Amino acid sequence: MIRGRALSNGTFGFLLTLPAVVLFSAIVFYPLIGSLSTSLFKQSLVLPGRSFAGLDNFGYVLAHQFWPVLRNTVVFAGAGTVAPFLIGFALALALNNRVKGRAVLRGAFLFPWVIPGVVVSFTWLWIFNANYGLLNGVLVRLGLIASPVSWLGEPGTAMLAVIVAKTWASFPWIMVMLLAGLQTVPAVLHEAAQMDGAGTIRRFWHVTLPHLRGIVGVVILLELIWNFQHFDTIYVLTGGGPAGATTTFAVAVYETAFKGFDLGQAGALGALWMVLLSVMVVVYVRVAER
Amino acid sequence: MTVITKRITIAVIGVFAFGPVYWLLVTALTPNEDVFRFPPRLWPSRVTWEHFANLADNPALARYLTNSVIVASLTAVLTVMVSAYTAYSFSKFRYRGRRSLMYLILASQMFPQALLLITLYLIFSASGLLNTYLALILSFTTFTLPLCVWMLKGFFDTVPDELLEAAKVDGAGQLSAIHRILLPVSLPGLIATGLFAFIRGWNDFIFALTLAGPEKQTLPPGLVNTYLGEFQAAWPDLMAASLVVSLPVVIGFVILQRYLVAGLVSGAVKG
Repeated sequence: MIRGRALSNGTFGFLLTLPAVVLFSAIVFYPLIGSLSTSLFKQSLVLPGRSFAGLDNFGYVLAHQFWPVLRNTVVFAGAGTVAPFLIGFALALALNNRVKGRAVLRGAFLFPWVIPGVVVSFTWLWIFNANYGLLNGVLVRLGLIASPVSWLGEPGTAMLAVIVAKTWASFPWIMVMLLAGLQTVPAVLHEAAQMDGAGTIRRFWHVTLPHLRGIVGVVILLELIWNFQHFDTIYVLTGGGPAGATTTFAVAVYETAFKGFDLGQAGALGALWMVLLSVMVVVYVRVAER
Repeated sequence: MTVITKRITIAVIGVFAFGPVYWLLVTALTPNEDVFRFPPRLWPSRVTWEHFANLADNPALARYLTNSVIVASLTAVLTVMVSAYTAYSFSKFRYRGRRSLMYLILASQMFPQALLLITLYLIFSASGLLNTYLALILSFTTFTLPLCVWMLKGFFDTVPDELLEAAKVDGAGQLSAIHRILLPVSLPGLIATGLFAFIRGWNDFIFALTLAGPEKQTLPPGLVNTYLGEFQAAWPDLMAASLVVSLPVVIGFVILQRYLVAGLVSGAVKG
C-alpha cells in the first residue's frame, strides 16, 4: 500500500480489478478491434505488411461467402436451440417433484454436456460412420433403410447430423436451468388451480409457464448466441463440408484466416458476424435485466 | 404429467442420452474383429483392454496429456487468483464504473473466439509466445474469468462485512484482510472456481488448435490430429482415448455439481 496515505475504499476496490482488466484488454478487447480493422486491409496471415483496401473485402465476402454461411448458421443455431430446448424442457418436467433417484438421474443426464466437445464429436462421428456406424446398423436391422447411408458425406444429411450431435451436448444444460426454474413455482399455486378444477395441461399453461417466462427467455437466447458462434462440434464432425453445407460463421472465419491465410476477408466476414451477434446480445441483456 | 408419462419421457430421452455413451464404452472394450463388421454387434463377444494399451504405447499422446495437465492446472491457479480479487471488488466495494465493468466482463464471453483469434495469433506470433504454454494459459483464463468471477462473487456476498471490518480495525491492511480472512473462509468457493477453470482449460479446442503446435498442444486438438489424420480407422482406440480425456472432467464435475449449478443459474440470470 502507498505509505502515509490510505487509499480511499473505492480506489482500492477498482485497483483489485486491474489484473482482470489487463487480461480482458489484451486478450479480448484489443484483438476484437484489431480483427475488425483487418476487414479494411488486404492482409495475409503468413506475409508481413498490409495495404488499405477500403470496402473491397466486404464486397467480395458479400458476393461469394456471406449468404450461404448465414443460412447455415441460422439453420444450425435455430434447430440446435429448439431441439435441445424441447428435450430439456420435457426432461425437466419429468424430473420435477419426487421421482425416485432424481438427483442421481439429473447428474447422469449431465454427462453429454460435461465431456469435452471433441469427445462429443468423436462419439457421433463413429455413430454416423458410413461403413460400420451404429446408426446405419440399427436402421438396416429395423428395415428402415435398405443400405448404409453416408450421413456426414451428403449435404442433405450432414447438417442434420451436426444438429443432432449439438442437441445431445446441449439439452442437459437446458434441463438443469429449467429444473431450477420449476422449483421456484410455488406448490400452493398448483394446489389452488387443481381445486378450481384445472387439469394438467391448463395448469402447465397458466401456472407453470408464466413462472418460467424469464428463465425460458434467458435459456433460449443464451443457447442461440452460443450456437451462433459454435465451432468445435461442426469443425470436428464435418470441417464445414461436404461442399460447404455445414460451414457456419465460426468455421468460415477460421478457415479463411488459418487455411486460406486471408485475414482481410476473414475480418470482413467476422465483422458482419459480429453485427448480427451484437443484436442478439443486446436483446439478451434486455431480457436478462427484467 | 402423470407418473407413467414421466417414466416414458425419461426412458425415451434416456435412450438418446445414454445410447451414445454406451456405444462409446462398448467400442472401447470391443476387439477389432467385432468392431469392423456390418451390421455392428451391439455387445462384444469378449472384452479387451488392448485399445487402452495402444494409447499407452503412443508417445505423442503422453505428451498431449502432460501438456493438458500443465496448462489446465496453471489456468486454474491463475483464474482463482485473478477472479478472487475481481469478485471481492464487485462484491464489497462501490465505485463509479463498477456496474459497467461487470457488464463488460460478462459481455466479453459473447465475442466470437474465431474472430478474436485472427489478431491474437498475430500478437502471440509477434511477441514470440506462439507455441508456448503461456499463450494457452492466458487465453483460457480470460475466457473462464466471467463465470468464475460470478461464482466467487456469490460466495463473497455471503461473507459478512463485519468480519472484514473487524480485521481492519485490528490493524490488518486491506490486502491482509483479503488474504487472512476472506480467502480462508471462502475456501470451498475457491476450490470450486479452480476446478471449473481446470475443466474449461482441459476441454478447450479452438485456442489450443490455433495457438499451439504439436509440441505444446493439449489433448483435444492432439486427438483430432492423431486420429482424424494419422490413424484414421482406429475407432476403438479413439473411443478409449475419449474415455480417458473425459474421466478427469467427469470426476471434477461430480465434486463440483452443487456449486456449478448454482453458479450457472445465477450467472445467466443476473447477467
